[in-house]
Amino acid sequence: MRVALIRAAILVALVLAWELLARAANPLLYVPPSVVLPALGRLLALDAYPELPQSLLLTLREIVIAYALAIAAGLGCGFVLGLNRLVGRAYGPILAALYAVPAVVWYPSLMLFFGLDAASKIAFGFLLGFFPITLAVLAGVRQVNPQMIVVARAFGARPAVVFAKVMVPAMLFTLVGGLRTGLALSVIGVIVGEILGAKGGMGALINHAYGLFRTADYVALVLVTLALVVASDVVASLVERRAQRWLE
Amino acid sequence: MTNTERGRVLLLQVVSVLALLAIWEAAARAGWVDALFVPAPSAVVGAFGRVGPSALAGLADTLAKTAVAYVLSVVLGVSLGVAVGSVRVLREVLSPFVVAVYGMPKILVLPWIVLILGFGTAPAIVYGTIHGVFPILVLVMGGVRDVDRTLVTVARAFGASSWQLYWKVLLPAIVPTVLAGMRLGIVFCLLGVLIVEMFAGVRGMGFVMGSLANGFQAPELFAATALVSASSIAIVLALDSLNNRLSRWR
Repeated sequence: MRVALIRAAILVALVLAWELLARAANPLLYVPPSVVLPALGRLLALDAYPELPQSLLLTLREIVIAYALAIAAGLGCGFVLGLNRLVGRAYGPILAALYAVPAVVWYPSLMLFFGLDAASKIAFGFLLGFFPITLAVLAGVRQVNPQMIVVARAFGARPAVVFAKVMVPAMLFTLVGGLRTGLALSVIGVIVGEILGAKGGMGALINHAYGLFRTADYVALVLVTLALVVASDVVASLVERRAQRWLE
Repeated sequence: MTNTERGRVLLLQVVSVLALLAIWEAAARAGWVDALFVPAPSAVVGAFGRVGPSALAGLADTLAKTAVAYVLSVVLGVSLGVAVGSVRVLREVLSPFVVAVYGMPKILVLPWIVLILGFGTAPAIVYGTIHGVFPILVLVMGGVRDVDRTLVTVARAFGASSWQLYWKVLLPAIVPTVLAGMRLGIVFCLLGVLIVEMFAGVRGMGFVMGSLANGFQAPELFAATALVSASSIAIVLALDSLNNRLSRWR
């Protein structure tokens, strides 16, 4: 309780300090909260950017497609590498080495190949989400106790049954964690892609506001985008909790 | 892993990389893929010579900025992590803030940073530091929290001062966490610097790659990408081997 109070006090103090400092220094550049709120109102009333709903939908669609592709490819690659000892030993280190490269180095090539439209953002979101999901599957497969598989086989379970009833439950915890990280990274990938160059979506609006020095609108757009990010994380945490309950 | 298995793994790796390159080259030569977007490996190799001087200069610039951002991230991340992690009130009050900012897509504040700091070196260092400091901070905070309480209690019981507690007990105990954070942080710093250079750069590898993409110079772009990737992998491997040597020494 006391901790919550201190936290609230810190938040209030931060907002107040921001307001005072921004007014004292340069309201156009540092955008005090008193300017942000009306701008947010105008934005949500579709006054500042009438195309806001379409942009939000476009960004959301890019995220959903990128994440769906990342799940499909991540689970596929993860299980192929995890279940096949030789293949895993050969390609696992290559994958780990590629993961050590800051992903944004691939973005110019993706932009060149897929163009400035949604496809390059989807490809980048996919790429960012793919790695944590694949690596989580690999780690999860390693966690499964081999004896459980032997016992299940000895009792005559078919491979599909072993997979669904023994392996997946045993690795679910790691798997769901990887899926959650993958979602967060897919979201970031799409947003980074949009801000680095796009014709549509929230990133394009943010760049437009920033380019025209409409700083209040820019902050309002950032807040709306953040709401999208937080919403996606809330959905992911609900799914995670559901999976944990199912395990118990 | 037995010796024969290691040999088979290596063979599989070499064969599949060669096969990939061969298929890629054949696809490009036969015109199955548009050479404007996907240049053949041989064309990429040839492009190294052309793009080499400007790419190496850009890479040096990028790595210099990354080094500054990295030092700042490690110093800030470790000191703040120890301070916030070891004081219970601070930790309880601040950790949700830290975690929230860590999870936030930092790209959203990039336009604002560029607006305030302009184009060039300063925004790259600031943004690279913002990228690098949070993973280190979160890891170190967790590491300090998880230090064995009995160690602290025993040290206190033997009359250690706070100063001794930090230097002789806490810091040695979190060395592995700090090293893990340092390994994670370098990739984040490089990522941040490259993003700034692509977004609003006037120099550096991100800027070079962005211009090559805008100019549809695919072979040069692929060569530059390979160069950054290789140096990033080399840096991480070097940190890993340093890490291994240190842990053996411990």
